[in-house]
Amino acid sequence: MRAVLLAVALMLASAAAVAQGVAFSVEERARILAHGPWPPAVTRDPSNRVSGSSDAIDFGRRLFSDGALSRSGYIGCVTCHQPDRALTDLRPRAHGMADVDRNTPTLANLRLQRWYGWGGSSDSLWMASIRPLLDTRELDTDAAFIVRRFSLNEDLTCRYRKVFGRAPDHADDAMLVNVGKALAAFVETLVTGRTPFDEFRDALERNDRAAMARYPAAAQRGLKLFVGRGNCFVCHTGPNFSNGEFHDTGIPFFVVPGKVDPGRHEAIRALRDSRFNLLGRFNDDASRKNTTATRHVVLEHRHWGEFRTPSLRNVAVTPPYMHNGSLASLRDVVLHYSEIDGERLHADGERILRKLSLTEEQIGDLVAFLQTLTDAAGERRLLPSIDPAPCR
Amino acid sequence: MKHAELGIIVIVCSSVAQACEPPLHGANVQKIEGARYVLAWRPAPAPIRVGEFMTLEIGVCAREGQPRPATLRVDATMPEHKHGMNYRPSVTPKGTDRFAAEGIMLHMAGRWEIVFDVNTGAAQESLRTSIELQ
Repeated sequence: MRAVLLAVALMLASAAAVAQGVAFSVEERARILAHGPWPPAVTRDPSNRVSGSSDAIDFGRRLFSDGALSRSGYIGCVTCHQPDRALTDLRPRAHGMADVDRNTPTLANLRLQRWYGWGGSSDSLWMASIRPLLDTRELDTDAAFIVRRFSLNEDLTCRYRKVFGRAPDHADDAMLVNVGKALAAFVETLVTGRTPFDEFRDALERNDRAAMARYPAAAQRGLKLFVGRGNCFVCHTGPNFSNGEFHDTGIPFFVVPGKVDPGRHEAIRALRDSRFNLLGRFNDDASRKNTTATRHVVLEHRHWGEFRTPSLRNVAVTPPYMHNGSLASLRDVVLHYSEIDGERLHADGERILRKLSLTEEQIGDLVAFLQTLTDAAGERRLLPSIDPAPCR
Repeated sequence: MKHAELGIIVIVCSSVAQACEPPLHGANVQKIEGARYVLAWRPAPAPIRVGEFMTLEIGVCAREGQPRPATLRVDATMPEHKHGMNYRPSVTPKGTDRFAAEGIMLHMAGRWEIVFDVNTGAAQESLRTSIELQ
């Protein structure tokens, strides 16, 4: 009899991980472990021949903070992607040369993405870096304008030549692509660090109960909802807490009365029409192994009003939320999903998003969990300092 | 009597399986038995992960009296959500009765049904299998 009880006890212990009274089933444990390890191995982008080059990273760092790229001369990438604001701007919708329809996404961990922008209209980070250069509401520039800017700045001209082996005197697509690739080389170095969740996840993996117990009880309860009844993990999966794909989450896609944001639907059209996508001549990967997504993506009516699943890493320091910045706080986001209006979703059939009717305590627990996805730097993403020595 | 019937059924099934072996073997290979075809498939990379592209190696065996497969189509859906993938796979012949399907990505956790449509020109058989992704 004692042997049977012992066997049952051992079975239960192996079937569930328990810490501070929160028990995780075998299934929940597997889902939690799928959100790591962190940080992932960094690989260079084969579509960008200057990815990983220290000269390109330094040149991109300078361009990132410089107004030289904008028509006005005083707006740069850094205007919206502010280092002391978690590389975003804390505004509902971005404002460059004019108002933009969407919220400014943070730039951290972008190397892990497949698509860029809320609609995913770019299939590489360098293509995504070109888009705001040309958008009249953002930097409002073009190749000829950039050439003129470089001609007035000997230092930038020297650095361009160092990275790309030629003078920045060609007012063509290659100029835009090179600037995009230098910016991308820098941006892909922006990664977030380990978080309290990562410590818990790794402790769970090695069954270190003492380390697991250091993770706050409210966060553990929130995590259980996240990988359980809340179904958040269905889309916010993997080490970067995103499946990298697109969903309709019931956020209205009217920009202003009479004007809609088509989201993924329009983005696929833009991607296919662009001469800068990975199927074009500017992809530096001769093997074309990195074109799988672009070659196989389908355009269907259901993509209307879908937006990319954002990463949740450092989500607590990047308010406001959703593609249009319409939700001010994490509590608002959890409340939105808890009380979601099924009539606003245009997906057919059974939906993954259903009204959860969470209690106030459960909402607080989910928020507590999301807050543990913040690294030590939080909103202060200190960029590497710029060496004042002139280029030689 | 019941035992005798069961014995006959088992003998019939095992003899059919021996007679129709798809040209794909080794680790991670899964088999689907259809009325006309037996199909074996293997994902690469394995195991299948949510949100990551994979290629499927596929071998098809035509049962006795059935024509060899001419073409193959692969798709995947989430029956409970009533939606499919965001990508349309491409299938390439890889020698006799062998195929490779590229551009497959299961973008959400949950139950997926993978469908293999074997075409001979004159007829078609759909072979299905279910997988659960965490």
